[in-house]
Amino acid sequence: MNLLFHSVRWRLQLWHALILLGVITALCMLAYRLAVEDRRERIDRELEAFERAFMRSFWEVQSRKNKEDKIPSTGELRQRFRSLENAQDFPLEMRDLFDPEAKDSTYLAFWDGNGQTLFRSANAPASLGCPKLSSSDGDRKVGTRGIYRELIQGGPRGFRSMVGRDISSDRMALARLGWQITGSGALFWLLGLLGGWWLAGRAIQPIEAISQTASRIAGGKLSERIDIAGTDNELTRLSQVLNETFDRLAAGIERQRDFTADASHELRTPLTVILSETSRGLKRERTAEEYQEVISNCSHAATRMRSLVESLLLLARQDDSPELRREVVDLSSVASDSIQLLQPLADQHGIRVIADLESARCSADPNALSIVAGNLISNAISHQPDGGEVRIRVFSEERQVVLEVADHGPGISAEHLPRLFDRFYRIDPARGSASGHSGLGLAIVRAIVENHQGGVAVESAPGEGATFRVSLPGMA
Amino acid sequence: MRLLIIEDDPLLQRSLAANLREENYAVDTADDGESGLFKASNSDYDCIVLDGMLPVFDGWEVLRRLRPLKSTPVLMLTARDAVPDRVRGLDAGADDYLTKPFDSDELLARIRALIRRSSGQASSLLEIDGITIDTASRTVSQDGKEISLTAREYALVEYLALHRSQVVSRSELYEHLFDEDDDTLSNLLDVHVSNIRKKLGPEFITTRRGHGYSVE
Repeated sequence: MNLLFHSVRWRLQLWHALILLGVITALCMLAYRLAVEDRRERIDRELEAFERAFMRSFWEVQSRKNKEDKIPSTGELRQRFRSLENAQDFPLEMRDLFDPEAKDSTYLAFWDGNGQTLFRSANAPASLGCPKLSSSDGDRKVGTRGIYRELIQGGPRGFRSMVGRDISSDRMALARLGWQITGSGALFWLLGLLGGWWLAGRAIQPIEAISQTASRIAGGKLSERIDIAGTDNELTRLSQVLNETFDRLAAGIERQRDFTADASHELRTPLTVILSETSRGLKRERTAEEYQEVISNCSHAATRMRSLVESLLLLARQDDSPELRREVVDLSSVASDSIQLLQPLADQHGIRVIADLESARCSADPNALSIVAGNLISNAISHQPDGGEVRIRVFSEERQVVLEVADHGPGISAEHLPRLFDRFYRIDPARGSASGHSGLGLAIVRAIVENHQGGVAVESAPGEGATFRVSLPGMA
Repeated sequence: MRLLIIEDDPLLQRSLAANLREENYAVDTADDGESGLFKASNSDYDCIVLDGMLPVFDGWEVLRRLRPLKSTPVLMLTARDAVPDRVRGLDAGADDYLTKPFDSDELLARIRALIRRSSGQASSLLEIDGITIDTASRTVSQDGKEISLTAREYALVEYLALHRSQVVSRSELYEHLFDEDDDTLSNLLDVHVSNIRKKLGPEFITTRRGHGYSVE
């Protein structure tokens, strides 16, 4: 049951049912109320009309008997009412008045000012008594007493008249009408529920499709997308947003997959060397020199693997913890330390390192910055033909500190520039691991610089060398 | 048997070459696609070990350009074990592939199988007139008794046995038994042949004067 109400369709259906029930109940109650009012008014009008007709007939009968035309006294009136016994004097519809058995037809009674009964029709119920009226003249009161509806009117000299009728048959008719209304209300409600179920189903259908596609994507079919039909509604827009999200996720996963493949590719070659060398070494007895060669080859391969693993770890750490250990660092001293470390490499190739370092303070992780400087400078030295020069500048510029490393090497053609900082991207796919370059150096530089809210850019053209420029937010 | 290794990683190239030379193969090496293709198309190798990722042009390109010229068996080494890479290599004309890192025993067995297959032999045991040549253990026996041969002698016997009933010229033998660094004396072949005749009997190798040698 709990599960049912977690379904949107069921919840929609529940609300729909409740609202529909409220509306239909209100309408039914209104209709019943109106029917009751209408019926009562009709009875009241009937009673009034009946009395008027009776009085007209009564006076007609009286005027036939007494020819004089004057207002009779109370005593005379009582006399006259008492003399009403002959039903034949009255029209057909009034003859029940004189029939004690006609319990369910209209009855009549009159009283004088003292509450003395002037006339009481034979069919009047036994419980009938003289009614009380607050003021005597012209007063009129309609009321229901038990199963009787009665109209009481006051006349001159305290006269009172009452006309009434048994309304139990009307009540039964109303009750029947009530059941009919309830029945049809329930029928409408059920129809409404069915319609609501169908509507909710239709509304949910696209969501169902979206969730199925999404779960297929989650299951590994990264290329699937939600089918966006022609109509432009909220769900289409949702689907578009989801599709864009899936695109980005798939691209991210693709990049990650490439990265893992590249990383394992880089590790496979030195691993193959170690396997091949150890199995060669173990195959037969050898001289000490041969063993030394085998071990030295293994050691070279292992060293290469270590440097690659270190680079990978460094990169992973940059990805994992954007929280930096920050302190005030002078970029120029970081650069001069790196130059000092790499000076022997430059000397080996006869390359002059020209440094132009201004003090430029920033808040950064000094170890990370020295990796940035070291990678850029050693790249520049290794791309610079022997005997040339590498220029390194550090300066401040518009609240930024800048490290610029320029070589006069062969340069980089435009097609490689956008991907230069990608992981394992190499201009020549095969140049690399053999020469000790993992293809991660620039990716590490970019990761570190971006973690410092800085930017790295390269300017280069074939034959004109390359200039790498790292800018970081400076300190006042 | 003469092999060509095209591999750009100097450590791996050295290690593979050392391993194969110890198995008495004559081994040539090349470290980029261009020089590899040049060597492969200008000499007859018994098998080529080709790396996928190479400078200048890659292994798949080497295969694409080599195949119209030569049908030398090629064993491809791939660092990526993705199926499309392997399919691409086989479709480009490679005969087999190995994914790095591989076991060198497996590499040797695959090279032996490729050489055997390319000369139309299915089994690693060759039987000729009571002489059995086991190409897997690299031994020769006569009537169940093992006969000791030097590495070069064995290579010569194996090559002739694999090309049974064909006349193999002296220059072909030179090309397949010695690598490019070998400075061999021209009569060295005759010395080997006469030594083999002493060990296996004079009828095993027939001399076709002016043409070369054959095993019937």
